[in-house]
This record gives sequence, C-alpha cells and structure tokens, in this order.
Amino acid sequence: MPSHLANYSSLNRYSRTLYQTLFKRNTVFLVGIFTTAFVFEMGFDTASDRLWDHLNKGKQWKDIKDKYASS
Amino acid sequence: MSSITTKLATATVNRTLFNAPYSSVAIKQLFEVSNSYRSEINVIPSAAWAAAQRGPDGLVTAKTFMNAAVNSSKSVIVPDAPKYKKDSGTYTSRSFAYLMVGATGVMTASATKVSVTDFLTNLSASADVLAMAKAEVDLSKVPEGKNITIKWRGKPIFIRHRTADEIAEANSVKLTDLKDPQSDAERARKPEWLIMIGVCTHLGCVPIGEAGDFGGWYCPCHGSHYDISGRIRKGPAPLNLEVPQYEFEGDTLI
Repeated sequence: MPSHLANYSSLNRYSRTLYQTLFKRNTVFLVGIFTTAFVFEMGFDTASDRLWDHLNKGKQWKDIKDKYASS
Repeated sequence: MSSITTKLATATVNRTLFNAPYSSVAIKQLFEVSNSYRSEINVIPSAAWAAAQRGPDGLVTAKTFMNAAVNSSKSVIVPDAPKYKKDSGTYTSRSFAYLMVGATGVMTASATKVSVTDFLTNLSASADVLAMAKAEVDLSKVPEGKNITIKWRGKPIFIRHRTADEIAEANSVKLTDLKDPQSDAERARKPEWLIMIGVCTHLGCVPIGEAGDFGGWYCPCHGSHYDISGRIRKGPAPLNLEVPQYEFEGDTLI
C-alpha cells in the first residue's frame, strides 16, 4: 500500500479510536496499565497454578489427602 | 578540445563526479555550473519546500516535499527509497508504540507487585506456626458459673461460663462509671461465655478469678479490680482485660 493511503486504512481508523480513548490522556493510560496488570496477574496465576497441578497430578497433598486424613 | 567539451557536457547532464574529467578546467567549470545551479535553487525557498497538509485534528496527514532529485537538476541525487517507507498510517504506528510502552508498564507493575508480595510473605508466619498458635477448648465441660484457664501463645486465657445473674449484672453497669468504657456486648460475643487474656493491663500479672470488690478478677500485684465482664473498675490498671480473637464452632472454641 502506498504510504499516503495508509492514513485512510481501516487499521488506522481503529488505531485512531484506540489512541483517542486510551493513550491520549496520561491518567487514563496509567489507570489502564494498572488495571491490565491486575487482570493479567490474576489470569497468569490461575493459568500457572493449573499447569503446575496438571504436571504434578497425584503427587500433591491435596490429591492424596483422602488416603490419610480421616475426617 | 571538442572531446573535453563533449565530456563536460555529458558530465554536466549526468552530474556524477565519477565520470567527470580530472582536468582543472573541467573541474572549475563543473564547480561554476554546479554553483549556478545551487544558487538558482537556493533563491527559491518557497513554501512548497515542506508543505504539510494537516487534518482537522492537527495531525499531519500528508507531506509534500519538493523533490530535490528532480528539481535540482540532478545536482544531488536523493534516492526515493520506496522500499524503506513504512506503509502504516500515522495512528497505527503511534498506537503501536504506545501499546508497546503500555505492555512494558504492565509487565513491570506485575513483576514489582509479585516481588514485593513474595518478600512480605516470607516474613509472615508459616503454616506450622499458625497451627501452633491456635487453641481449641471443649466448652461443654465448663459448668455454669465456673472459670477455666488455658494457655495460648504463652499467655493464660480466662474462659468463664457466666450465669444469667452475672450477665445481668455486667449489663447493668453504667458506661460512664467505667475507666475504659466498653459495653458487655462488645466484650463477649455470646453473653454466657466471657473469653479474655488473663494478663493484668497494668504490669502483666495474672489476676485471680472470683475475687475483688466487683465479683470478677483481682490482680494481687497492685490491687486492680475487674468486674464480671473483665472491665477495670478500681486500681492502677488503665484498660479492661484484653479480649482475644475467637470463634465458636458448635461447642468448641477456637
């Protein structure tokens, strides 16, 4: 695509919306960063925990607890 | 001579130094010609040199440069380099840059938070310590009107199964009479069970149960009298007997 036409592409339109809503104000940008970090961390923790449990299935206390704990 | 003229003419047209003849005349002439071209160009620095078209939001949507390669009559050959021109729009590239900055910020924030929490978790009590720090008591063995004393985290805990009369007495006391005003409901979650840390708030002696002027506890060290709700009534102690954190699970107490 010729460069002078790139400003009229639909990608550029979406980027424009993104820029105007999220990046233009620094406060919004910062709040967005921290919110994303929060959400990202929750998701990352859940995913890594699930992976760990999957890789160590049958080896952890919570898996073998029924054999030993009476109550 | 004619060959030099021809060469010179060719060189002037092509304007590359490589095929220019190395005679002083030729170079001189080349220089003059080149100079005249330059001065001609420099005379007309018009608005057309770098006219930017701006959109309604003030962003440059298109730029027009006078193409030096064409207009300076090949004095300096500026390559157009279409290969290196990016074919993304203004907002696309800008948003991409901001997105990268933001993603880095997200990663940094998460990493910082995780390292701080990990470090702080390191300092907190581990599970075995927490398990040792609890005490369970079977309350059904404590008859009405009796005290028991247990040890919890190295301190005595007074547990009193109060009678209805004692509860009424504890509630009848006016809060204005108290040195450290606290209602009985604030101190005992279930009114028949009073649970306190049995350490005098004055200097840390262990008070004696069912003694003193107010029917509660009495500290023999310096003569502090506590009432049936464990509140300080008389003597040097500044505060009521402390109430620990506790929970009822059926008939057991934790």
